[in-house]
Amino acid sequence: MTVAFLDPLKIGRLRQSINQDAEFKLAARYMSEDVLFEVDKARSIVRVRNGEISEIKIGPSPDESWSFGISAPAASWEKLLQQIPPPFFTGLNAAMMRRHLQITGNLELAFAYLWALNRILDIMKQPGNE
Amino acid sequence: MAKLEAVIGRYCYLTVDGVEYRVYFEENGRGIPLLCQHTAGSDGRQWRHLLNDPEVTSKYRVIVPDLPYHGKSLPPQSVDWWKAEYKLTKSFFIDFLVELKHCLELKRPAFIGCSMGGNLALDLALERPDEFKAVIGLEGADYTPGLDIIWFNHPRISGEFKFANLYESTAPAGPENNRREIGWVYSQSAPPVFRGDLYYYSREHNLTGQLGRIDTSRIPVYLLCGEYDFASTPEMCRRTASQIKGAKYTLMEGLGHFPVAENYQLFKRYLMPVLNEIANMR
Amino acid sequence: MKICFLKPRKLKLIPGKVNDDPEFKLSARYMTRNVLLSAGESQCIFKICDGQVSELVLNPSPMEPWDFFIKAPEKSWEIFLQPLPPPFYHSLFGASIREDFQFGGNIEAMFAHYWALQRMLSILRQIQNE
Repeated sequence: MTVAFLDPLKIGRLRQSINQDAEFKLAARYMSEDVLFEVDKARSIVRVRNGEISEIKIGPSPDESWSFGISAPAASWEKLLQQIPPPFFTGLNAAMMRRHLQITGNLELAFAYLWALNRILDIMKQPGNE
Repeated sequence: MAKLEAVIGRYCYLTVDGVEYRVYFEENGRGIPLLCQHTAGSDGRQWRHLLNDPEVTSKYRVIVPDLPYHGKSLPPQSVDWWKAEYKLTKSFFIDFLVELKHCLELKRPAFIGCSMGGNLALDLALERPDEFKAVIGLEGADYTPGLDIIWFNHPRISGEFKFANLYESTAPAGPENNRREIGWVYSQSAPPVFRGDLYYYSREHNLTGQLGRIDTSRIPVYLLCGEYDFASTPEMCRRTASQIKGAKYTLMEGLGHFPVAENYQLFKRYLMPVLNEIANMR
Repeated sequence: MKICFLKPRKLKLIPGKVNDDPEFKLSARYMTRNVLLSAGESQCIFKICDGQVSELVLNPSPMEPWDFFIKAPEKSWEIFLQPLPPPFYHSLFGASIREDFQFGGNIEAMFAHYWALQRMLSILRQIQNE
């Protein structure tokens, strides 16, 4: 399973799906941050500008900055992205509390935008984005 | 023996624009129905002193609803409200109050509203003069722009900002507990609600140039304003009243934007002459 | 009557009084910000670090950083700092909408810490009138 934000064939559609989502629009209002997503050692930076995804960059270089990161092993991502996730994988905060995932960098911002981040996970479960 | 208030709370169901709402309201008293509208971003808890005042409840059946999305009136079940920006519109606001009046079978109730409720008093007087016996507008005016700032609904700003900001809207010498209680209630409202209500208060509500159409022979209009109210100032309120023939204006010295809740005993001195006058109307 | 945060003798009292205040302790949690108070031609930076006033810099150089400012003529500060201010000087928000107070800079930070700011100004009011 390749997570959509790491798949060059899927990132265009994923970006569009997120930007067209009514709930994400609300949740990501005023958000302009670079978010690092990590699956094992593979990385992507999702750039959000004024509440919209402007770019998803697969394999950024180490000197590219980000505000906060969501980092987990592939096995955790697989559970997070199940249609009906198992216990403790229902969202980022739950998985973090149970040590299946780490949120790194600026936690204050990550929590301010928790709704938007969890909505991205929901959108990644939609047909075409899995 | 338990110490109980006579105030009773219950739920009713009503429909506006095809959407059913489960509406929480509290009431106490007998006599002329008095429908009480709370301020933007708050709920019926503001009216707790009035609800418990026997001098009022001996003449009035005081009814205090929570507008949908406020207090115990949860968002409607049939709407995906988490996908849409919450905005209180003038048409919904008017329709809701009138529908509630019909739902509870209130015969010629008086209406009293504060802040956005004060503005609504004017809209009701203009658009539904035959539904109410009289309207009392507290801290309202014909046009109150500029208050729907983004910071009232921002992911990086907590409800603590509302706690501090609305506390400041009360007069400085009032009872400290009551002033803080107002901030407390504001800090509890769901994130989008305050700013969403201010959409009506600061954008949609604009009666500039239209006040002359209000007919106080059909519906008496009383406007009262707290001396310390910087949102809808005494000057704005007085100017509004001056354009409505027959409207009565009162400046409430020592009070701020939340007269009913911040210092009820002081507010009562201004309110009772108005309520007594309405009670004596045919 | 000179504003307390412009008088060296009264300035010394400020950190102790503010930092000992239970309401300030609560409201200023996690606050690390520099607040510029400007009265006419004079200025004072309040450095708040981890919820405590750590330093006051009277008439700072232009190179001293600050996060947000509150500015008004000296006469207006005198009114604001009265024991029972008249309308609309009883409220910073009110005084900026209806009178001649101004604020600016990182307004987001200012509003995030508004309660702490409000409490600090209340304590300045007490010091001003002692």
